[in-house]
Amino acid sequence: MSDENKNCCSSETGEPTATRSAAPMWIIVVTLALVFAGGLFLDSHSGWFDKNVYAPYQSSAQLEAFQPKSGAAAALARGKAVYESVCGICHGSDGLGKPGQAPALAGSEWVTCNGCNRLLHIPLAGVAGAIKVQGKDWNLNMAAMGAALPDEDLAAVLTYIRGAWGNKAEAVTAAEVKNIRVEIGKSPQPYTGEQLLKMLE
Amino acid sequence: MKTGFSVFLAAFVALGASWFGLVYGPLKQLGVATETKVLQSDAKWPLQRTGDATLGLQVYRSAGCAACHTEQVRQTGSANVLTITEIGSHQPADLKGFINSLSGSVIELMNASNAVAANLAGWNGELPKVLYSGADDTVVSMLGDKLKAVGVKTEARVVATGADIARGWGTRQSVAADYLYDAPVQLGNLRAGPDLATIGVRAPDVNWQLQHLYAPRSLVKNSTMPAFRFLFAVQKIGAQPAPDALVLPKEFAPADGYEVVPTAEAKQLVAYLLTLKNNAPLYEAPFTPITVAK
Repeated sequence: MSDENKNCCSSETGEPTATRSAAPMWIIVVTLALVFAGGLFLDSHSGWFDKNVYAPYQSSAQLEAFQPKSGAAAALARGKAVYESVCGICHGSDGLGKPGQAPALAGSEWVTCNGCNRLLHIPLAGVAGAIKVQGKDWNLNMAAMGAALPDEDLAAVLTYIRGAWGNKAEAVTAAEVKNIRVEIGKSPQPYTGEQLLKMLE
Repeated sequence: MKTGFSVFLAAFVALGASWFGLVYGPLKQLGVATETKVLQSDAKWPLQRTGDATLGLQVYRSAGCAACHTEQVRQTGSANVLTITEIGSHQPADLKGFINSLSGSVIELMNASNAVAANLAGWNGELPKVLYSGADDTVVSMLGDKLKAVGVKTEARVVATGADIARGWGTRQSVAADYLYDAPVQLGNLRAGPDLATIGVRAPDVNWQLQHLYAPRSLVKNSTMPAFRFLFAVQKIGAQPAPDALVLPKEFAPADGYEVVPTAEAKQLVAYLLTLKNNAPLYEAPFTPITVAK
């Protein structure tokens, strides 16, 4: 036996024992940073372990953007697109309206009444003068913004308005729009608030 | 050993966590999978196999096809594509200017304006013309609406992208639903031969498949596939030639007076190959099979 071995493994002093010492602070910090980065990566790449999300898709929202639209979903997407480009400029993307420009559509009694078609008349002929919306007085002019839209597009946008931002009213069909367009005729006169109220009765 | 229990506990937690994540979780998600719905259709996916095709999977397995063929199409991305199909009475140059002005002024199109301008550069009116290809579906719907308003017809499609798709091996990636009726699943891990996930679409002819199994090089000149002659019987022509005898070119045909007849296994294998289609759009692997005109 060499001297080296003797020094290294002498058993006279008994079994070696492990002692404790605190982990250095930098290791703890780096570990926590790695765990945090891993969490961020999982959050953005795992699709929350959804069985329908496969790479290269990283989330169900991303997958949703590639779903071909048809039927009710397509009409709703179309309605939203039309709303954003025609109505949303004054009524706002959130449907809350803009002071001095346009009243709210979200929760408005003019929008959500079932079985009444006042809402269909407004974009086809416009509104002029005083009108009361959700207990608030407005005195503005709205042109016949929807008169130039095809029946399907106007029906889609009205359906969108009746279903978005918490509104829950029945859908509008292209046939209904067509009937009212015929009823109003070629040279529409803007309605007043009173005329519209009478339609409800 | 004072720390024995801690070591046991640590090992238990480590193995238990992996078992939970790698065995229990996937089993809970995919072990109970049933047929899924085909997008924009009432059809279900995948289609149940016939008895012959189900047996054919076992022939595929025993012949070792999976050693050289995969059954998995990969995809690296997806794109919403807008294509001009009709320009009506417009001049291409005017339309180009109009579209470029649109993508400069409409907020939703701003991010796509460079891509659209690049696609339009050098366009002299030939149709169909891909106007936009990218991830943003609002660009496609917005641009489609704006063009529709001026009488230009467009088509919006969702397409899968990637090397396998470019090779023509499929229209979308393979997903778990495609393997519902495969037992065992023949994924394969080597592509000495082409991927077979859509072979039922690419080569749907039974006679072609049988001849290709008997003599691959009679149909694909430089094929490296071995001839699977044990799946066929070479027999003397009787009073009448067998109705299912292969029609082979001269250099691959047997001696005069003999004919090549596929065995039941060969027919089962081909029945199985023809069920490999992977061509239905699913929620988890969307694409547009037919063009949707706006």
